[in-house]
Amino acid sequence: MAKLKSVIRHEYWTIVKQPSFWIAMLATPAIIAIALGLSYFGNKSVEDRMGQIVKQLKDVAIIDESGLINQTVVDSAGLKLTPPSEKDELREAVREGTAQALVVFPESLVKDRRYKVYLSSTDFTQMGSVTSLADNLLRTSIFLPLGSAEIIALAQNGADSDVITYKNGAETAGLNEYIVPGLFLVVFYIAFIFSVGYMLTSVSEEKENRSMEMVLTYVNPRTLIIGKLLAVILVTLTQIAFFLVLAIIGYFVMTALGNTLTLPAGIDLQKLVFNPVAMFFGAAFLTVGFLMFAGLMTATAAVAPSSKEANNFSAVFFIGAFVPFWFFTMILTDPENPITKLITYFPITSPVVTLVRNTVGNMPFLESLAALAVMTVFMIISIWIAVRAFSLGALEYTNTIKLTSLLKKK
Amino acid sequence: MKGMKQPIVSVKDFSLTINEKTIVKNLSFDVHPGEVFALLGANGSGKTSTIRSLLGIYHATSGTLHIDGKPFTPDQGWMVGYLPEERGLYTRSSVLDTMVYFAELKGLPRAKAHKLSLEYLERVGLADKVNVKIKKLSGGQQQKVQLGVAIIGKPKLLILDEPTKGLDPVNRKLLLDIVDEYQQKGTAVIYITHLMEEVERLADRLLILKDGKARAYGDVDVVKKQFKSKSIEDIFVSIYNEKSSEVANG
Repeated sequence: MAKLKSVIRHEYWTIVKQPSFWIAMLATPAIIAIALGLSYFGNKSVEDRMGQIVKQLKDVAIIDESGLINQTVVDSAGLKLTPPSEKDELREAVREGTAQALVVFPESLVKDRRYKVYLSSTDFTQMGSVTSLADNLLRTSIFLPLGSAEIIALAQNGADSDVITYKNGAETAGLNEYIVPGLFLVVFYIAFIFSVGYMLTSVSEEKENRSMEMVLTYVNPRTLIIGKLLAVILVTLTQIAFFLVLAIIGYFVMTALGNTLTLPAGIDLQKLVFNPVAMFFGAAFLTVGFLMFAGLMTATAAVAPSSKEANNFSAVFFIGAFVPFWFFTMILTDPENPITKLITYFPITSPVVTLVRNTVGNMPFLESLAALAVMTVFMIISIWIAVRAFSLGALEYTNTIKLTSLLKKK
Repeated sequence: MKGMKQPIVSVKDFSLTINEKTIVKNLSFDVHPGEVFALLGANGSGKTSTIRSLLGIYHATSGTLHIDGKPFTPDQGWMVGYLPEERGLYTRSSVLDTMVYFAELKGLPRAKAHKLSLEYLERVGLADKVNVKIKKLSGGQQQKVQLGVAIIGKPKLLILDEPTKGLDPVNRKLLLDIVDEYQQKGTAVIYITHLMEEVERLADRLLILKDGKARAYGDVDVVKKQFKSKSIEDIFVSIYNEKSSEVANG
């Protein structure tokens, strides 16, 4: 027990004391914030620039052969409708550069849904702004008969929906029901992306720096691997705590700045549902799935002679964890589909699929129980393989351990 | 006198086969407290495999390998100090963290591990490096830390596999002095090396392995008499020349 504690302490601090650990953790929210900021200010800047260009677009001729463009709309944009008879002459003027642009809405506009824009330059921004101007003229002209600006806005942008759902005759919390079990999926990916790789690195490094033989003299492989697994779990909890603290700080900073936090899709933190069954299965699928992947990573690092080869081999598990997204719609909408069933029980896809299905509640209790039992068996097998691979491959510095050696009786 | 003592290491009829290849065959030897036992042999002769089997890292195909009267398990780690040939340290950890970690793995309480590590680092001139990462140390300094990891905790048995490899003369002398000191205190030392002058200086008894079999075993003086030779190097060369003649004779 004392040795297990020492292994956990050593592994945990070795990871947490590395600057790269904190850089990776800080970089993630920082990059997201920078990307959001750049996107916001970038879009605003583009909008401003487009607005300026549209204001400058006074030398744009509009020809309407479709009969859909409203004279008032064109006038309000500071432009004029030109008779179709002048089309060839204007097109020639644009070609020669004496006119800036010509927009022609043809007779076949309704049927073909296409119109023509002639431009005197290849300037990308001008191209966008003239097209945007023409689009606005068309849309506004079409919507104008609807009457008020509010109705036009409604027709153009649609409306948000409040979905009220019932279960067994009682109103449910709708999307808010998915949030708590969905958090287990988020935590799984945080753990998978940030932490599972530490098992690979930890074992690979011990092999590469040749400290393994000294370690194995004083601690048995099972204690060492369990210690490493528990240390990685602690690292994951540290990461979750860090992101949680960051989110809380962010919330208070936003509130202090007078901004209200508006969550998308009608999510209301006051209406979160804490379903104990969904939470139990979420925690169980997360833990068992995480340990299964950690075991597979350990085995991979133990059988591979170097960290480079271990990284190459481990790619298959990373792919496995993301494969369910290719079947996402099917998982959500068709739980009885044989493919959904298959990937629910298939070892490297089961953690994500079960967590997704548990989130949206399309996994009956007995099926959840069965999936958990199967996953637990896979987890035990993966840890057994890890210990076995470790015993065989820990001191193998040049060759990859063969599968037959792994399965051979001691 | 040594013969009267209970051996700390007792290997009887030990054989090891890995992937259908015989590595060691019917090997028997004892190592007694307070002696330096030289385990010699060319590369691939089975020295490292014997040590790994003695420490339970490899499983013997047959025979018994005992330390202090029973097969070694990591629970007895406190009584063994092992400096393997393939050795290295956690390059990203500090000197002190590394030493304390290994001392804890040997079964020492944390506070004692900390105290003994600092004492050792002071002795070998690394007191100012306690918080320095291993990767920042020179090769010789890393060797000192590796030796410290092996000897910390006053082991009953020290297994040193080419301990002076890569050391400058000053550090080599320091290491040999430490080995002497431990021997004086009653620690048994299994010393593996290719440097015969170290064997001449340190060893009380020896075992020369060739193709996994013992070719010479016993007190250094007795072995010299058996082979009618004045130096261990000559004995070693003559044993390995036999192999050439065997090959040459088909």
